[in-house]
Amino acid sequence: MRDDLRDLPPASSDEVRLLLRRAGLDLPEELLQQFLAVWPGFEAMVRRIPRGNGYPDEPAHVYRPGRIVR
Amino acid sequence: MDVSFLTIAELGRLYDKRELSPVEAVTALLRRIESHDASLNSFIRVTPEVALREAEAAERELAAGRRRGPLHGIPYALKDIVETAGIPTTGHSKLRQDHVPTADAHLVTRLREAGAVLMGKLATWEFALGGPSFDLPWPPARNPWNRDYLPGGSSSGAGAAVAAGFVPGAIGTDTGGSIRGPAAVCGIAGLKPTYGRVSRRGVFPNTFTMDHCGPLTRSAEDIALMLQVIAGFDPEDPGSEDCPVPDYAAALGEGVRGLRLGIVEDWYRDAPHPDVAPAVDAAVEVLRGLGAEIEPVRLSSLRDYTDCKTTISIVELYAIHERDLRSRPQDFGRILRNRVLPGALIRAEDYVQAQRWRTVLAREQAMALKRVDALVTAAALNVADRPDPDAPDRLVSAPSITMPFSVGGLPAIAIPCGFSRAEGLPLSLQIAAAPFAEATVLRVAHAYQQATDWHCRHPMLV
Repeated sequence: MRDDLRDLPPASSDEVRLLLRRAGLDLPEELLQQFLAVWPGFEAMVRRIPRGNGYPDEPAHVYRPGRIVR
Repeated sequence: MDVSFLTIAELGRLYDKRELSPVEAVTALLRRIESHDASLNSFIRVTPEVALREAEAAERELAAGRRRGPLHGIPYALKDIVETAGIPTTGHSKLRQDHVPTADAHLVTRLREAGAVLMGKLATWEFALGGPSFDLPWPPARNPWNRDYLPGGSSSGAGAAVAAGFVPGAIGTDTGGSIRGPAAVCGIAGLKPTYGRVSRRGVFPNTFTMDHCGPLTRSAEDIALMLQVIAGFDPEDPGSEDCPVPDYAAALGEGVRGLRLGIVEDWYRDAPHPDVAPAVDAAVEVLRGLGAEIEPVRLSSLRDYTDCKTTISIVELYAIHERDLRSRPQDFGRILRNRVLPGALIRAEDYVQAQRWRTVLAREQAMALKRVDALVTAAALNVADRPDPDAPDRLVSAPSITMPFSVGGLPAIAIPCGFSRAEGLPLSLQIAAAPFAEATVLRVAHAYQQATDWHCRHPMLV
């Protein structure tokens, strides 16, 4: 069975509003309502990401110092 | 002579024989655009003065026997996120409606040096992601096969303009399928090169780790000719790879005899449109008949690839648009705004886990490509969509068949392989190969096009 976060309960609209405010976003109510309607699909997507990788499995894009100096 | 559907290669041969001149070709295409684009909206801005000036310069050089290469005097157009000095580059967005760059994108410099002729800037989904949108300063493009349908996205204008016979080639960009999708539903060829093969410098970013620039044309041969000019190392692009550029046209005629092709059937067998699987199956049989060895390949689900790609891209997209979202969110189109905002709520650890997942998924593709020379599947799971301003956003809900090769950063092409029976709209085949094996992708696509004529069929504009 895959190790992911699908069991977590969905965020409430109040929690989403708080997270947006903490991100510095002050959306008009109409735009906020539009976002609240689409967010659950994105939240479900993120929670399907597997978490069980071993420590040697690094991100696809790692720091390569030779690339910094052009 | 009707120049509308001449390919780049055919135009070049006619220039060589002095049977057609660049000014004649450009003048005829400008007239065609003027006659028909009002109902297709493929161009945001046509640049006739630039086109005629560049065509006259090409004509003088060709007359003097100085041919720069296969793109000399060839008309083309650019998706309007590719910067052009002195010509507005809007991203099809109110946010950049008046933006006039001071420098050309790197690939534009290469095309200019090759003598190509810029015809104008093409419609896109807003900043190559938000669309199809009906609340932007310009309307969405329409599909030349049937104007009651859309041309896909985000390189929507590029797909429509090439299919309509306005230009023989265009430059698009592809993060999750934005070249291959429009190519698929417009019945043309579109190549997403390997990540790092073509410089992104001067192209408005969609993401940082998955953006690609590439050509859309009416044949695999023309893709090779355009790619030859724009491919190569750019030290000013952090993602650019310093890797030799082969002669793409030289490998086209090698055929597929003895090539091992892995068919990723699970991805398209249950496509929502009933004509997709039979069309791809028939294309596979054509390739088998040409001598390719066919074997099945199983990879992770489209759902997995789509989740991985979209999580990464949304976070990077938010980082790109954060300032405007905080100061002027109302100036975004609804679809783009609602696709970017989730990036504010996705946590850093989610992004890192998605990047680690990307390694795993890319590795499984690399392992498969040790056994086979190329992967073959559908390029779209359905025909073109009808315009519907109230349609629910499917970015997350509908798994994508182009995103797997975005995750892997692999070269992948879409080419036409039939038409749907009910709607008469194009169906498309997708071919991918190992990193920097564009020549293999083009070889398979060209062999298929030598044996079929789907790419020779064009829409009638009335």
